[in-house]
Amino acid sequence: MNEFETTAPDSGLRRSQLYRTQQQGGAEFASLNGATVVKQFAADDAQQLKSLAMVDLSMLPRSGFKGRQAPEWLTRQGVEIPAEPNRATRQQDGSLVASLSVQEHLILSDLQITAGKPQQLENDWQMDADTACYALPRSDSHAWLLLTGEHLRDMLAKVCGIDFAAEEFANHQVAQTSVARLNSILIRDDVQLADGSTVLAFHLLCDVSSVEFMWDCLQDAMDEFGGKPAGLAALLA
Amino acid sequence: MPVYNDNRLANGGLLVDRSKTVNFSFDGREFKGFAGDTIASALAANGQWLISRSFKYHRPRGALTMAGQDANTLVQLPSDPNVLADRETIRDGLNVSGQNFSGSLEKDSSRHLGMFSKFMPVGFYYKAFYKPAGAWEKWAPVIRKAAGLGVVDDTFEPEYYDKQYSFYDLVVVGAGPAGMTAAIQAAEQGAKVLLVDENPILGGSLAYSRLDAEGTQAEALRQAMIADIESHANIDVKLEAICNGYFGDNWLPVIQGKRLYKVRAKEAIMCVGSLEQQAVFHNNDLPGVMMSSAIQRLIKLYGVKPGQKAVVVTGNDEGYATALDMLDAGIEVVAVAELRDAAPESELMQAVSQRGVRILSNHAVYAANASSDKKHLSAVEIRQQISKGQCADSGETFACDLLCMAVGYTPTYQLICQAGGQLSYNDDTAMFTLSKLPKAFQIAGSVNANWSVNAVCGDARRAAAIAVNRLAETVERVSAMAEPAPVADDSANSPNYSWPIFPHPKGKEFVDFDEDLQIKDIVNATRDGYEHVQLVKRYSTCGMGPSQGRHSALATARIVANATGKSVAQTGVTTARPPFAPERLGHLAGRSFYPARYTNMHHRHLEAGAQMLQAGAWFRPAYYGPTNQRDNCIAAEVNNVRNNVGLVDVSTLGGIEVRGPDAGEFLNRVYTFGFAKQPLGRARYALMTNEAGVVIDDGVSCRFHDQLFYVTATTGGVDRVYQNMLKWNAQWCLDVDIANVTSAWCGVNIAGPKAREVLSKLCEDIDLSSEAFPYMGVREGHVAGVQARVIRVGFVGELGYEVHVPQHAGEALWDALMAAGEAHGIKPFGIEAQRVLRLEKGHIIIGQDTDAMSTPEEVQMGWAVSNKKPFFVGQRIIRELNKEPQYRSLVGFVVDDPKAPQPEESHLVIDGDKMTGRVTSCNYSPTLGKPVGMAYVPPGKTEPGSDIVIKVDGAPVAAKVVALPFYDPDTARQNL
Repeated sequence: MNEFETTAPDSGLRRSQLYRTQQQGGAEFASLNGATVVKQFAADDAQQLKSLAMVDLSMLPRSGFKGRQAPEWLTRQGVEIPAEPNRATRQQDGSLVASLSVQEHLILSDLQITAGKPQQLENDWQMDADTACYALPRSDSHAWLLLTGEHLRDMLAKVCGIDFAAEEFANHQVAQTSVARLNSILIRDDVQLADGSTVLAFHLLCDVSSVEFMWDCLQDAMDEFGGKPAGLAALLA
Repeated sequence: MPVYNDNRLANGGLLVDRSKTVNFSFDGREFKGFAGDTIASALAANGQWLISRSFKYHRPRGALTMAGQDANTLVQLPSDPNVLADRETIRDGLNVSGQNFSGSLEKDSSRHLGMFSKFMPVGFYYKAFYKPAGAWEKWAPVIRKAAGLGVVDDTFEPEYYDKQYSFYDLVVVGAGPAGMTAAIQAAEQGAKVLLVDENPILGGSLAYSRLDAEGTQAEALRQAMIADIESHANIDVKLEAICNGYFGDNWLPVIQGKRLYKVRAKEAIMCVGSLEQQAVFHNNDLPGVMMSSAIQRLIKLYGVKPGQKAVVVTGNDEGYATALDMLDAGIEVVAVAELRDAAPESELMQAVSQRGVRILSNHAVYAANASSDKKHLSAVEIRQQISKGQCADSGETFACDLLCMAVGYTPTYQLICQAGGQLSYNDDTAMFTLSKLPKAFQIAGSVNANWSVNAVCGDARRAAAIAVNRLAETVERVSAMAEPAPVADDSANSPNYSWPIFPHPKGKEFVDFDEDLQIKDIVNATRDGYEHVQLVKRYSTCGMGPSQGRHSALATARIVANATGKSVAQTGVTTARPPFAPERLGHLAGRSFYPARYTNMHHRHLEAGAQMLQAGAWFRPAYYGPTNQRDNCIAAEVNNVRNNVGLVDVSTLGGIEVRGPDAGEFLNRVYTFGFAKQPLGRARYALMTNEAGVVIDDGVSCRFHDQLFYVTATTGGVDRVYQNMLKWNAQWCLDVDIANVTSAWCGVNIAGPKAREVLSKLCEDIDLSSEAFPYMGVREGHVAGVQARVIRVGFVGELGYEVHVPQHAGEALWDALMAAGEAHGIKPFGIEAQRVLRLEKGHIIIGQDTDAMSTPEEVQMGWAVSNKKPFFVGQRIIRELNKEPQYRSLVGFVVDDPKAPQPEESHLVIDGDKMTGRVTSCNYSPTLGKPVGMAYVPPGKTEPGSDIVIKVDGAPVAAKVVALPFYDPDTARQNL
């Protein structure tokens, strides 16, 4: 079970690039698995997730591998590879594997942070002359935001040129596209909330150095629909 | 006390809310209207018919179309010129004024310009003002003052505009009877439909036109269709939204409010209707002369009585329908001038006749007379037609303040022609028709030459069925349908009268109201040799005004055809390009997405008082301190690095990992040096040239593993380097993986004689001694508890270590190093100090000291080119170039004269009056106490001790070529 321990926003080695912005937004910070995260923005975070919210998951585990033999290596590690690129597959431990190309895969932690696969794969990987599979520093190269809520499609339509209608973009479909003119990976992964309801959700991964720009753009696009940031606690509940 | 709303009818006005009074001002006077009124309708309700002045002759102009389609109603708002008064709604406190007048709108001192029109024939400005010599200089200010419409508000503050993408199976543009029918039918079959209309309510012409003598059918039909649309979940409606262009594959920009919707439609149906045209006769531009549809709009949409006593000139049934509407509104209709000789007696004509209105068959309005103040219609002269465009010598004059024109239409062809549709002219019906439509694109309704409501709706059902059946092939939710049988048009005749153009000896029969162009202007253009309609347009400016030929294209085509002996079909019309209606730059710009990149330490720089500069999308600290102490701050930072220890954020430097069995071979090919045998734990300078042998980037290659090279690249160059690497290996197919990890790693350079002391406090698992970790060594270990790659480099010419850590720990690393160095006097230094430091050391910056022609030899980098390996990119051309004498070399120089002005980058190196080179870098060196720099110089000036002259702000400055580096030539400092 993951436990939040209240902490200062700039404590610890692992801090989100967004912590100042989040602090200004009234975030309550906590230490979680060695990283400083936002536990909560407001008491109604859970309700916000249903309407329109974004959650900074940048401190959650993730890894990536690419190379000619990456699928074989990952399969040997027990990873179920999606049948085709731009699809994601939920793993038995709850992690999500997204196929960005035949030879490139992204592994995201589950939102409860119980899945061991993302970290375990990184630990197990070694440079091997006989295996063309290479680890990518996804935990540091990309920021990770979760976008949720019933107004999400309308909000995304303001920053991204893809048709995300339910019949056009299925759950676990992946788009490698431009969001607010920034290269981004979008993965639809509808989320089940603590009250049992399921809400439309997308993982958005973008260059970590531009995440403050992205956060501002998304906040601006959300305002029209009452969208706000939410903390991790509402997801983990 | 002024009497407000005295032209307001007791009932009616679909768009106005009579319970809400709105106060606004026009031309400095206070007015009242109702919520929903446009500026023009509210002014009309108050008897204010004069709205603006014409562009050329400053003639009084009033409402013409009441549809936002003409330039007569352009007005000025405080921050907004050229606002359409018949589209802009009033709001409390709105200040409106007319445009294009001298003095006041009512008493324009330029109003007599029209009297001099014979001195201003078409194209006169191409021929006049240039003689005698020097005349143009005198005329130019006068002409420029007269040119243009409205006044731009220089103090305007930017407003928030944005864009949104939308996707639909079918987009229907135009929510009249055709558009509503098509939308309903397609939605019934399961299609997702967007229905777009520029008006605030659904219905199009049903909202104001009259279908029957009783005047009840149109509104009943409209209400029934609205009920169907509002109850249908598959239909989205955007009102007060303009589809402002057509782009390939049904990409439709739809503007609503301050948002531009970028709509993608699998199918599109244009139900955009038709535009009513004016008759061309003497003084046809007087306020009080209106299109029949404008009169109906005023009555039905705004509940405004457009006049007291009216005359109708008509060539179709709409004239009679409007006459009935006017009679119902209490307007006296004194006569109908029926242009047709033997018009079929329709139900509407009979109804008008039965109400005692005199109908003069085969008669035309020959001239309109102005009131005594010249600002409104007071009478019209009706004469019998004796031949095409010719009237009898005399006629009958009817006093009136309102003339209704109903002489025909053009299809609203603009979007359709933008999509590739072809406009043709049918001489029998005197109408334009459209054909050759692109794939997945249709037209329906009156734009497709259907006039009765039955034919209009039948045509829409036909188009919807075609669209639905195409959609059903690929969209699962859409079900196919049988194509309905065609519906014959039960309207008796074409609504277009073939020649509603009546020349007058005194002219002023306006073809184009925007530019005050008369019949003779168009004819004279053809006589001046500009016979093609496109040339007529450019020469006369016909169709180039704000209304873009909406009401002049047909008449112009007819007049040009007549003057050149061609048919109207042969003559055609000019090209209609986007946008359809004026749009704001704000709509095009939308929100500004300019991605910014910040390092993990960015906020620490701001907290330390850094002045930031932008390098591409990255923000980097230039120097730390106030701007008014810039030079002192930079000098202090330089001195602290030279004498103590400094810390600079190098996270923006590119980082590329090249991994795999062929990694060494790959680097051997992309960089000029040799890398295949680079030892583990060592760094090597990496210079990159392109296929032309030009230096394009540099960095350091660090070998951390037999199969892992971590290569740095310049901040601005890394993306291109990465792309080049991918491109080249796509050809070479070497067994390597290439990953751009720039953002994944943060880096600092801790530099200065005390760097080792500071770093050693935080670094337990790396031996930092000079013996164990020499210059150009690389190590992996931990710094401040963080996994780190440490590279011993010397860009600034001192003992230094680049420490690279995972991005998330960048700020923590910065904090730890600053804390560890506090006792040693550590200070951050910025890019400006780094530039000075590297210049003192003679290190070049790619892009600053190199250009698009720089070869390694020119920039004294021949040592970084391996002559032993068989290939690298650019090798062949470099070998060839090295056989030729160099025409320039990059050298170091100093300026010894302390009183001389300091050269700057791009200042010229001169020899007499010849340019022989240029300065690439120059800074005051705090270490050397004088300006030092680098410059390209010609052969003969490259040897140390050579004298060169640099032109600084026009004055020659003596400089002396010196050997590089300026500082620490034995490299003892960086080898500490």
